[in-house]
Amino acid sequence: MSETFAVLGLFDDADALMAAVPKVRAARLGRLEAYTPYPVHGLDQALGLRRSPLGGMVMIMGVLGALTALLFQYWTSAVDYPLVTGGKAATSWQAFVPIMFEVMVLFATFTAGLGMLLLLNRLPFFGHPVLGSKAIRGITRDRFVLSVEAEGSFDPAAAQAALEAAGALEIEHLPAPAHGPLFTADAIQRSLLGIAGACLVSGLMMYGAVKLFPVLPPMSHMEDQPRLDPQKPSAFFKDGRGMQMPVAGTVARGCLPPDISSPEDAARLANPLPLDAAVLARGRTEYRIHCAQCHGALGDGVPTLTAAYGAKPANLLTPAIRAYPDGTIYGTIVLGKNAMPSYAADLPEDARWAVVHYVRALQRAQNAKAEDLP
Amino acid sequence: MNPEASMPAAANVLPEALRAPALTVGKVTPGSLDDQVLRFPALAPPRKWYIALACTSLLAALGMALIGYTFYMGIGVWGNNSPVFWGFGIINFVFWVGIGHAGTLISAILFIFRKRWRNAIARFAEAMTIFAVMCAGIFPLIHVGRPWVSFWLFPYPNQRGLWVNFRSPLVWDVFAVSTYFSVSLMFWYLGLLPDLASLRDRTDSRIRKPIYTLLSLGWRGSAGHWQHFEKAYLLLAGLATGLVLSVHSVVSFDFATSIVPGWHMTIFPPYFVVGAIFAGFAMVLMVLIVVREAMDLKNLITDFHLEVMCKVILGMSCLMGYAYAVEAFTAWYSMNPVLHHTFLNYVTGTYGWAGWLTMACNVLLPQLLWFRKCRRSYPWMILVAVAVTIGMWFERFVIIVVSLHQDYLPSAWHVFKPTLVDYGILLGSFGIFFSLVLLFARVLPVIATTELKADLPGSQPAHGGSHE
Repeated sequence: MSETFAVLGLFDDADALMAAVPKVRAARLGRLEAYTPYPVHGLDQALGLRRSPLGGMVMIMGVLGALTALLFQYWTSAVDYPLVTGGKAATSWQAFVPIMFEVMVLFATFTAGLGMLLLLNRLPFFGHPVLGSKAIRGITRDRFVLSVEAEGSFDPAAAQAALEAAGALEIEHLPAPAHGPLFTADAIQRSLLGIAGACLVSGLMMYGAVKLFPVLPPMSHMEDQPRLDPQKPSAFFKDGRGMQMPVAGTVARGCLPPDISSPEDAARLANPLPLDAAVLARGRTEYRIHCAQCHGALGDGVPTLTAAYGAKPANLLTPAIRAYPDGTIYGTIVLGKNAMPSYAADLPEDARWAVVHYVRALQRAQNAKAEDLP
Repeated sequence: MNPEASMPAAANVLPEALRAPALTVGKVTPGSLDDQVLRFPALAPPRKWYIALACTSLLAALGMALIGYTFYMGIGVWGNNSPVFWGFGIINFVFWVGIGHAGTLISAILFIFRKRWRNAIARFAEAMTIFAVMCAGIFPLIHVGRPWVSFWLFPYPNQRGLWVNFRSPLVWDVFAVSTYFSVSLMFWYLGLLPDLASLRDRTDSRIRKPIYTLLSLGWRGSAGHWQHFEKAYLLLAGLATGLVLSVHSVVSFDFATSIVPGWHMTIFPPYFVVGAIFAGFAMVLMVLIVVREAMDLKNLITDFHLEVMCKVILGMSCLMGYAYAVEAFTAWYSMNPVLHHTFLNYVTGTYGWAGWLTMACNVLLPQLLWFRKCRRSYPWMILVAVAVTIGMWFERFVIIVVSLHQDYLPSAWHVFKPTLVDYGILLGSFGIFFSLVLLFARVLPVIATTELKADLPGSQPAHGGSHE
């Protein structure tokens, strides 16, 4: 047998254990430790254990949790992303109280639980020699063990004698573990290799899964409706088109093709629309949509697009164009001129005439005389 | 050691009726306790258990399938629609969170008050808490419609530069329920640790031994460990006490901070907490009756335990009656015609039957428990417990559906009709819950043996006397 880790003395009940503790403690043979199936009251004082510092730790972490929650909520709600809710000031803190409480409890609980386990009790730890002793079956059941652990120059025989004198029913010598209490380098290496292997395998499986199964869009039913989208084919009609062509010769309302084929034809036409505010407003709207890009908002041929557009649009304010009859301007809209295409498809009949009225108004406004004033 | 000898002499002088009732029947020693409670994982489950598990897991599978169907088709397969946007999803959520309150109440509040009878039932009640909160957690997630982005509920830095709205009770709810689950789990697991160590040292099975070894984290029962452990348990109990009162209060804020008639009431937080404890105790009572019979634990979960549980249920039932009365009074006293209408709706409208059912199940039937005979008889106790479970589900139905289906805008009024999918998912959640309970009963100790051992007569050293 190698070196002794501890000598264990087995007792039958809590009273016998409590009676033995001061006797063995007085002998000063080594570090004393007791193992019991349930907390035995007064045992910690008898063994001379210090009070658990857990209360203070929990208190500090609880306060820290509440403060963290307060500052975080304040920062997100009042500084980083100020959001007015219910007409309250961005800095109103009262609404933060419930989450402050929850986070406080969360911090405090994890400190109490994990602090107890990891920091104070140093668990999980599977390498303690007592776990491999014969006595452990009794310890977690109904037996009480007083253990004298080796410390400095340790005499197992003296420890056994002291425990027997204190009334121990059975004695067990616990050999020191062959390896250190911590994980061996070998074990750490193996577990690291295992983790790396597991990562590799799961990564490959994930890759395979993504490759094998196409991504299934969940709940696509709102996008995927039994409806025919524009310009899409349909087997319903013989020609396979989803959108049917209008009957040959159909003319949309207001889109009767003009009965003109040349500017000369057009010059004879007169503006059928009355000159009133509604017509001018319509003309201005249509002019701004269709004409202003090239001819300019004032009709002076200085538009926004000049730089990007090679041709030089006409200045509508020149005397030549001012001298045109209404019909010629109308004809230009319908037939186009030089680089200007026909706008017949974009402007219905009455819109064209409204634009003519508006162009006239622009020409007059830009060449205003003193007597035009009312 | 002889238990009688360790009792203080004064206790023997007290007349029988004044003495604290025995918490165990017959002779119970730490060893016999382990042999009785911890033997189940090593035993083959009886046929009845398999049949029960088959039924519950079938229900659970049905629920899962319907949840999958909901994901596939969209939330439109449920009955909720304008104006009742909160249908079964939220009813079931509130119901299950409520069920989850008994466990922590028993383990934390009764621990703080040193009610020693809690020891025998705390572990099971805590486990039921965990399972109930798990069931509850399903519903908000599937109710949000797109559960795969439900992590948006949490504040985390994101490329959209957005944060959650911390002034919204729904966000408080996310924090409250997730904290409650974490804390309950921690409380339950820490309490379980020494029992897991007992299980570890009892078995030589090649499968169970490594599992229990891993789960017990190398617990060895050292005095120093016990000292920190007891302190941690006390602290956790204190923290959980505040938490158990806060969680359902926060759930009630979801309702109370809105302006829906019937929801905008200051009594909601205490009213919800009482309802939660009420429903939770009923569920625990129901399951405990089955467990003590099926697992032959009558000497540990005694008639006294059940009677105390019944008394708690009775007390909570009276408080529920009071809360209903205060609600009605508030409605009347408010002189608000909309509120009057809503409250009359609870008992006379389309769903008037639900209001009457709620009151009959929650206030009327539990009054049977005034009679000792009913507190000692299984049929009566089970009748009351089932009634309370039904009544508390319908209470949430009344609060949510009846209030929403007719509020300020009469042109939006609409009757809510649940679909088969709604019913199926509700049944499925019961299946999930009871499947977990059945599995728990076979693989983990159903009674906190360590806590019970520490409180057996004669278990503590005689010099300090017992600490009743």
